[in-house]
Amino acid sequence: MIRLLSSIYKEFLVLIRDRAGLIILFLMPLVLIIIMTLIQDATFRTVNEVDISMVLVNNDKDSLGEAISEGLYASDYFDIVEEIDGEKITEEKARELVARGKYKIGVIIPERATDAIRGNVDALINKSFKSFNVPGLKKRTKKSTINVTIYIDPATSVSFKNMVMSSLKEFTSQLEIEMFFKNFSEAMAQLMPGQNPIEFESFETIKYEQVYASTKEDNIVPNSVQHNVPAWTMFAMFFIVLPLAGNIIKEREDGSAFRLKTMPGSFITVMFSKIFIFLGVAFIQLILMLAVGVYIMPLLGLPQLEIGPHKIALGIMALSSGLAATGYGVTLGTIATSHEQAATFGSVSIIIFAALGGIWVPTYVMPANIRIISQFSPLHWGLNGFYDIFLRGGDISVILAESAKLLLFFVIMLIIAVVYNNYTKTK
Amino acid sequence: MQENNHIIELKYLTKYYKGSNVPAIDNISLNIDKGEIYGLLGPNGAGKTTTISILCGLFGPTSGNVFIDGMEYQHSREKIKNIIGVVPQEIALYPLLTARENLTFFGHMYGLKGKELKSRINECLELFGLEKNANRRIKTFSGGMKRRINLIAGILHKPKIIYLDEPTVGVDVQSRTVILDHLRTINKEGTTIIYTSHYMEEAENFCSKVAIIDKGEILTVGRPKELVNSKPEYTDLESIFLHITGRALRDE
Repeated sequence: MIRLLSSIYKEFLVLIRDRAGLIILFLMPLVLIIIMTLIQDATFRTVNEVDISMVLVNNDKDSLGEAISEGLYASDYFDIVEEIDGEKITEEKARELVARGKYKIGVIIPERATDAIRGNVDALINKSFKSFNVPGLKKRTKKSTINVTIYIDPATSVSFKNMVMSSLKEFTSQLEIEMFFKNFSEAMAQLMPGQNPIEFESFETIKYEQVYASTKEDNIVPNSVQHNVPAWTMFAMFFIVLPLAGNIIKEREDGSAFRLKTMPGSFITVMFSKIFIFLGVAFIQLILMLAVGVYIMPLLGLPQLEIGPHKIALGIMALSSGLAATGYGVTLGTIATSHEQAATFGSVSIIIFAALGGIWVPTYVMPANIRIISQFSPLHWGLNGFYDIFLRGGDISVILAESAKLLLFFVIMLIIAVVYNNYTKTK
Repeated sequence: MQENNHIIELKYLTKYYKGSNVPAIDNISLNIDKGEIYGLLGPNGAGKTTTISILCGLFGPTSGNVFIDGMEYQHSREKIKNIIGVVPQEIALYPLLTARENLTFFGHMYGLKGKELKSRINECLELFGLEKNANRRIKTFSGGMKRRINLIAGILHKPKIIYLDEPTVGVDVQSRTVILDHLRTINKEGTTIIYTSHYMEEAENFCSKVAIIDKGEILTVGRPKELVNSKPEYTDLESIFLHITGRALRDE
């Protein structure tokens, strides 16, 4: 026991006295997480289709303008602006703002747009009832077309453009139907006096129910903070592989490992002390990065990270992820024969794991075949576990599978390291 | 009776590294008595490091047996490790730790603790003139000071056998004298010393017995003075060494 405790204390002293190493371990991931979240925030907002900025110029001041305006405001998708500095935005100004990329879309409802619809409805009623000689019918027969202009930022996604167009068409159709029904009802009242007027009642005959086919990640679309904080925390945790492997190689190069191997105690004792210390590093990294997500991100105009109520599940995920990372580091440090080898292989392999695991690009936007491969990345298991906790409010039972995979990875890595170490004794 | 005095016995020891058909050591048999200062001398690639590595239990031989104080690594690894002390050629210390922290760590690894360890560290630091620098980090030490701490780390637990791999390489005359004097003192107290060096003059004066090894074989064994006296045409151990091993340059 004294050997293990002393070894842990020695590793602790070596770690805290390497100031440059401490900065790399703790400060760099924080900078990385903030920069990556800021960069990816706009992309995530687009993917999530929330708060799409829109300029609305309502020159109609009548039913159509009101219907479109109310419909757009009632939707959760748009961040609508009609005035700037207390002044109504003109069509020219709206076009300029969209062209400059300040707003994704501009909707211009022209003057007398409602009158045009009204005239077309009257013409239709007139045509339908002309053989009945209904008194009071407006004698309009000419149909006219009005243009609701939509200015679109070229960077706006096709799906979003389609959504805006269909929303506008729905609002316009609804108004046309209402007007038609109202005029039709009035005409019928003229034709059959004494009857109660037919009240227009909107009724949704067919309802569309959205049900997610999977209970897993397909139904979860995280925002930039919900994705980036756990993603880059996993990335940073796995990057401790490099200093850990470097630590093992350095001991081998300077003869300390030789000396330790000739001393009582096993290889496992030495390695466990390193795992213990670097596991502590991983925990501190996690706490710092979560703190950034909760307290710093909102100050930068980013969404706040919701940690969720299941702190024990979070602890288990942190422990599993940390062990997986340190296990990988121990194996790499045991097998690699030089710092260069460990640094190159270690960083490239982590980047591959990260890419497959959905650290840069979330797995839900990856092609199906890559998504299958991503199932084998430990960073994917970790990230998915954190998604379970942060996004799905998952408890211990939900993260058990991901946690078990990470722990299994740790055990396999450790077995490889021990077997390789014993193999070198017989060479 | 002589055999009972052997603390190390190597019997028909052969070592092939994987992928090589040339043995690093070839059928070596050697007995080292208790209390000897035994020099393993040889040019680069002679097989010294392989022999020392096997003696330290770092890896096993391809064939043959090694007995350390009557025990074999296969059966008594931990017991053997407790009675040996190793001083590698490299400065196998942690530069960011102080001398005392390094020695405390290595002492703990040998199972020493508490007051016993503290007093042993103080005793050794004083013996090697380093007590005033105990709380300085190793990275601030001179080469000679590092060598002395490197040595102390291997003798803290008062081992029966010390393996010294080039213990005085790269140090000044003063440090070398201090190191060798104290090693003699430790030897007089009963510790057997196995020593490798390229400094023939140092080996001649320091060792009670030497074995000259080359190409994995033992070429000669004897007390330095006896070896020198046995060949009147040579005046010192270095000339005998060159005569036996040749003047051709060696690669590792």
